[in-house]
Amino acid sequence: MHSTPAAPDQSAAANGIDVASFVPKTCLAYLRDAQNDDGGWGFTQGLESRVEPTAWCVLALHEFSEGPGVNEAAARGFGYLERTQLPDGSWPATPGQEQGSWTTAPACWALLAHREQAHERLDRGLNWLLQTTPADASRWWRFVRRLAARRSVSSQSDQLYGWSWTQGTASWVEPTAYALIVLCRGPEKLLSNDARKRISIAQKLLLDRMCPGGGWNCGNPMVYGVAGEPQVVPTVWALLALRNSGTNEYRKSLDWLEANRGNVQSLASLALTKIGLDALGRSDPNLDNSLAASFRDKDISVVNVPAIAWTALAMSSKRNWLKLTMPGETS
Amino acid sequence: MPRIAPALSPPFSRPPSRIAIRRVNRYEADLSALLFETLREFDLPVRDKTVLLKPNLVGLDPLGMMNTHPAVIAAARETFLRMGASEVLIGDGPAMDRDTQAVLESIRLREYAGPLSRIFVDLNIDAVERVELKTRASRFKELYFPKTVRGVDFLVSLPKLKTHHWAGVTLSLKNMFGVVPGGCYGWPKNILHWAGIDRAILDINAAVRPDFAIVDGIIGMEGNGPIQGQPKPCGVMVCGDDPVAVDATCSRVMGLLPEKIKYLAQAGTLLGHIQEEKIRQLGESIESTCTPFAVLEAFCHLRRNASGPVWNLNCL
Repeated sequence: MHSTPAAPDQSAAANGIDVASFVPKTCLAYLRDAQNDDGGWGFTQGLESRVEPTAWCVLALHEFSEGPGVNEAAARGFGYLERTQLPDGSWPATPGQEQGSWTTAPACWALLAHREQAHERLDRGLNWLLQTTPADASRWWRFVRRLAARRSVSSQSDQLYGWSWTQGTASWVEPTAYALIVLCRGPEKLLSNDARKRISIAQKLLLDRMCPGGGWNCGNPMVYGVAGEPQVVPTVWALLALRNSGTNEYRKSLDWLEANRGNVQSLASLALTKIGLDALGRSDPNLDNSLAASFRDKDISVVNVPAIAWTALAMSSKRNWLKLTMPGETS
Repeated sequence: MPRIAPALSPPFSRPPSRIAIRRVNRYEADLSALLFETLREFDLPVRDKTVLLKPNLVGLDPLGMMNTHPAVIAAARETFLRMGASEVLIGDGPAMDRDTQAVLESIRLREYAGPLSRIFVDLNIDAVERVELKTRASRFKELYFPKTVRGVDFLVSLPKLKTHHWAGVTLSLKNMFGVVPGGCYGWPKNILHWAGIDRAILDINAAVRPDFAIVDGIIGMEGNGPIQGQPKPCGVMVCGDDPVAVDATCSRVMGLLPEKIKYLAQAGTLLGHIQEEKIRQLGESIESTCTPFAVLEAFCHLRRNASGPVWNLNCL
């Protein structure tokens, strides 16, 4: 159950935290230190560069494009993304993989921050997203599912599909949300009728996969008749992807995110909770302090680069990264 | 059963497996003393070695129902340190939630095992290496695995005793799904489901080969496991030097037939022993600890006793 109504009230003064200097002195400094020589970032400091953490870092650094070395670090990160794009326009999850993955959407999002230089790469990335379908979109799979309907363990619609984590697998909430977010910022010229239909089906998939009490988990709202528990990370991305939908599901899920904020104990979920509530009109000023205090915890057991990039983005009052669009955008 | 014709090179060959069933009813018991006393009998080659404990951390679990209990994880760590291991790491890559820190906070692992920053490895986001698969039970020719898993001297699978709504049971072999990195395959690692869970279990275990298994059966999970089942007090810990034999023994303790569990039957020809005559039994007997677990209707054929419990979805 997620019934605690209030966010943890850890005052900045009590924790000795200067919220104003928190992002430049703590988050951005960490990200600059964690950048690899090739311009990318690993999931944690010192590890091999990967596309996804690099994309989040480029967005975070671009958001705060002031301060020593920030622009240069963002430009080097952008260079890493340029070099790792596959010939078909997609991005792999890890170096050496030859197939595109969910990381294509965050990479496109990051390139929006450099859209003047990245126009052609963006078009190819967005086109790849539009042309790639998950395995559960195939007629064969739907046929098999119909045959197996008697043994069905879940109640979700088999007619809907979005995007998968990796090629040849099923649709899930997070990759679908990432793809929707970037496609709705893309240029009008890319959005043929087929593309609009694809986007509409994916939006319906997100609504279909919502947990009964609001919010999302990875994409299993109900298994053998038992309701799934929502989680912060997929809930925030799904809400951002559906922000203009105005549906009851959207409102119910936003209510869940707001009600759950007092239960959040990790840096990543706290940052994303703040991002979601701020962007969707339910700001809670206590979350700034909670986030800064959480970061200061000396035993953050799994400090990872995306969590720190999300923390920086959560502390941005401008929220430009959520407004990035291509010329002729549709959102 | 779908025909699987995997093979290993060199072919599987091992002496009889050694298993210990220990009775323990409470997580508050002195688990460290019990494990130390039990593991001493195995004479494990861990002195001055690096050990990785791989618990089953599925997702957020504030009620302590689905994940390996932190008291068991901490006790296992203390035991291997006491046995002379130079370093004992804890590592997992939760399948259903990419926020591993939230999972760790939800089970309060820090309170049991101390500061985690130097001993916990999030296997979802660790450095990876590409490994060619020897078994080819599934369609995979290769998979990425975390370098930490490949680099340690001694790998311990540390699961919870649970039923599983797709595989029948989830024990020390299925637990190794957690070493497949989400950072390469997503959350969940859906590629494993599409390749066939039973087959993927074989490929993964042939590639990473856990050296030992300790199963938290103090309170297991029955019915619609591995996440949405019901707690099942069973009062045992099962340890052994052959994860296949450990899983076969656990299945018997759960009132299930290991030779009817697809992946376990195959593992019994590839990776370890499931026949009772090839398993040297220490500690309690299977009969004295047998606690029939309720299974979903689809898995009724796994029951040793046809009148064993069936999970009734309508009672929820």
